[in-house]
Amino acid sequence: MVDRTEPKPTHPAASRRAFLKAGLMGGAAVAASAGVARAAGDPLITEIQDWNRYLGDGVDVSPYGTPSEFEANVVRRNVPWLTADPVSSINFTPLHELDGIITPNGLCFERHHGGAAVIDPADHRLMINGLVDTPLVFTMEDLKRFPRENRLYFLECAANGGMEWKGSQLNGCQFTHGMIHCVVYTGVPLRYLLEEAGVKTNGKWLLAEGADASAMTRSIPMEKALDDCLVAFKMNGEALRTEQGYPLRLCVPGWEGNMWVKWLRRLEVGDEPWAQREETSKYTDLLADGKARRHTFVMDVKSVITSPSPQAPVTHGKGPLVISGLAWSGNGTIKRVDVTIDGGRTWQTARIDGPSLPKALHRFYLDINWDGSEMLLQSRAIDDQGLVQPTKNALRAARGGNSIYHNNGIQTWHVNNDGVVENVEVS
Amino acid sequence: MLKFPKSAAFAALAFAVFASPALADGDVAAGEKVFKKCSACHTVGEGARHRVGPELNELFGREAGSAEGYKYSKAMIEAGDGGLVWDAESLTEFLTKPKDMIKGTKMAFAGLKKQEELANILAYLKTFSAAQAAEAGSVVEEQPVETAAAETVEPAAEPETMVVEASKGAFGLGRVAMPAEIVAWDIDIRPDGTGLPEGKGTVAEGDPIYAENCAVCHGDFGEGAGRWPVLAGGQGTLLKDRPVKTIGSYWPYLSTVFDYVRRAMPFGDARSLSDDDVYALTAYLLYLNDIVDDETFELSKQNFTSVRLPNEGNFIPDDRLSEPHYAKGLEPCMSECKPGPVKITARAQIIDVTPDVEGDDANAGGGID
Ligand code: HEC
Ligand code: HEC
Repeated sequence: MVDRTEPKPTHPAASRRAFLKAGLMGGAAVAASAGVARAAGDPLITEIQDWNRYLGDGVDVSPYGTPSEFEANVVRRNVPWLTADPVSSINFTPLHELDGIITPNGLCFERHHGGAAVIDPADHRLMINGLVDTPLVFTMEDLKRFPRENRLYFLECAANGGMEWKGSQLNGCQFTHGMIHCVVYTGVPLRYLLEEAGVKTNGKWLLAEGADASAMTRSIPMEKALDDCLVAFKMNGEALRTEQGYPLRLCVPGWEGNMWVKWLRRLEVGDEPWAQREETSKYTDLLADGKARRHTFVMDVKSVITSPSPQAPVTHGKGPLVISGLAWSGNGTIKRVDVTIDGGRTWQTARIDGPSLPKALHRFYLDINWDGSEMLLQSRAIDDQGLVQPTKNALRAARGGNSIYHNNGIQTWHVNNDGVVENVEVS
Repeated sequence: MLKFPKSAAFAALAFAVFASPALADGDVAAGEKVFKKCSACHTVGEGARHRVGPELNELFGREAGSAEGYKYSKAMIEAGDGGLVWDAESLTEFLTKPKDMIKGTKMAFAGLKKQEELANILAYLKTFSAAQAAEAGSVVEEQPVETAAAETVEPAAEPETMVVEASKGAFGLGRVAMPAEIVAWDIDIRPDGTGLPEGKGTVAEGDPIYAENCAVCHGDFGEGAGRWPVLAGGQGTLLKDRPVKTIGSYWPYLSTVFDYVRRAMPFGDARSLSDDDVYALTAYLLYLNDIVDDETFELSKQNFTSVRLPNEGNFIPDDRLSEPHYAKGLEPCMSECKPGPVKITARAQIIDVTPDVEGDDANAGGGID
């Protein structure tokens, strides 16, 4: 059902390992491993392994390193039926395989509307025009001479979970929640660039535009632009990836991912919003009464258990189990995450581990002793504004089933006695 | 005052075009990149199938308009019947300006302007036409392509020197944007008509432009071919289980139609339409949406803002925080939160559409929009 294909074993020892692992997965984990040890000792220990005798690769083999071959399953995936074409489409971050709060660059989900543009930084320009004292053009070299900042931010597509509005559809948190990533950006505060051009007093809105084949545009209130927006050229220390807008993207912390315009080439100052396609036809939230909310910029308080989850079942049987997940809020930091294993009758407060930074992912853990009985797992985040993550039913009661965007409802995973996990909804 | 040096790269490129016979040695890897310009509509290689355009395997030596199971335009079929066989020469001509070579082709693609790109795409496509590769290669070497070369020489777009003024801001970084540059990029239009260019077009004029450039994806009546976006209809569906959100049923402003079509359509060939074309197409989309019913209706800069879309009044500000679950001071329940044991009310398996699962995708619901 779920793709858990092991990478092809290349060493004899690796297949022994796979054999052992299969044995462990059979159920009586402790007994099995103890049994092997009693008989002859674990051959992985008693026999000298190839990697312990023969030399590995030299330092010239991979000038740019890639993940271990045993991690071949940790990849972005797309859902072919969602869109007519993979050029204007989406793929998803494999959240179930990751830990901590930083998303590796190559695993950050992709959403673009005209394919990933390929632009030589020498050919890239950023223009500021409109209601400014002096319209300006910057090269990448110019931009790298402004003072920089480093900030960790999540970026979530407003449509993350959009397929789940009408009910559980997709079996895997990669698909239900994987339109999110969190990286450290290096860039210039947008404020500096706007000040360099001189914003006129009636300049209340900013239009950000991309250089790609969709010439993506979004209107952003000036207040936000001057607050914490960044014009970024690095992610996690290295240049932006092509699909993340190389050489330049806008960061609009805590707000809809679509506003973080990639291949950023122009910023126009105006006195009113522009009502572009991505803020009228799309990224507006249709309600049950036929009205539609617009300018729903902030990404709400939200969390999800990433493991166990449908693509990451419990394979070790009962006993110690790490329940691990992510929480975030476009308003600021996460104050608390609660976890339930009985579908929401009783809750325990989870442990947030690692940095707690505003508008960034937070990692939480609940370490339990699983008795092997069925579980209905949920997590519930509370942010520093005191906003509590709602249930899916509460959201549907307020908005109906056609909103597509801003689904931050509580996710339920059903874990059966064998540790198999399924995406469900509960009463 | 700063000066831009004359573009050395440009000079080198132009020289290369003159010096070498066209297409002699295209680069397959670079051609694979160029193919991205085609991949919205074509597939090639293992598992290739017809999409908006036909699959392109075994293209070299293939009669034009002959791929089985693909519905070509009449023009393409006639070209094939007239003896057109795809080889490096004919492909070069076609891909340089598809509509000049085959009038009436439904390939909505402006053409490849750079010699280098042409050479590379042909080298790439050739790798999927094993049998013909060697032969096709030799034909090309004797045939310099004049039209494209002539186009490449024009250096007008790149003036030798461009006089620029430095920024007067606190950092003194960047330079003052020139009026021509702002005009080139600032094409956005607001609901109040700010930004509209001069121009006009009628419903009747829009019809053939739509048929030629848009219908292949969006359907003859804007109903959407396959999963490509629907552009018309859907009035009265916003309260239904599966609302159909179109220009007529959902969009608040007509300015968005003009702005978006001009900046991003046709998909894969953006910015290829004239302003008059876009006025005509916008008028035609109004017609498809039953907002105007007169084929002689002319949309222009002058009357643009007098047209209002029916759903304009139904957009409201963000009032999420007024929803009951966000009420202030809500203390989340920690124990005895639900009366009895919790029941499962829905399972993903029932409508399991997870990728990597065998089965039929067609009944999948929802979407990312
Ligand atoms: C916007 C969609 C679109 C794009 C982009 C596009 N094509 Fe096409 N192409 C078509 C369609 C549609 C046809 C069928 C034309 C007809 O029937 O008149 C076609 C036909 C062709 C044919 C003729 C095939 C035959 O069987 O006779 C070739 C060759 C071709 N395209 C190559 C390309 C290449 C190479 C590119 C990229 C440089 C490209 N096309 C880009 C839509 C497209
Ligand atoms: C090759 C297929 C293709 C062709 C040809 C094409 N479009 Fe599109 N069109 C698309 C895709 C794909 C999208 C959605 C892009 C995205 O995801 O951002 C779209 C979106 C649109 C939208 C916005 C729809 C919405 O509901 O938001 C309009 C309007 C539109 N196209 C008009 C046109 C017009 C007018 C033409 C002809 C000049 C045209 N298109 C030609 C593929 C096409």
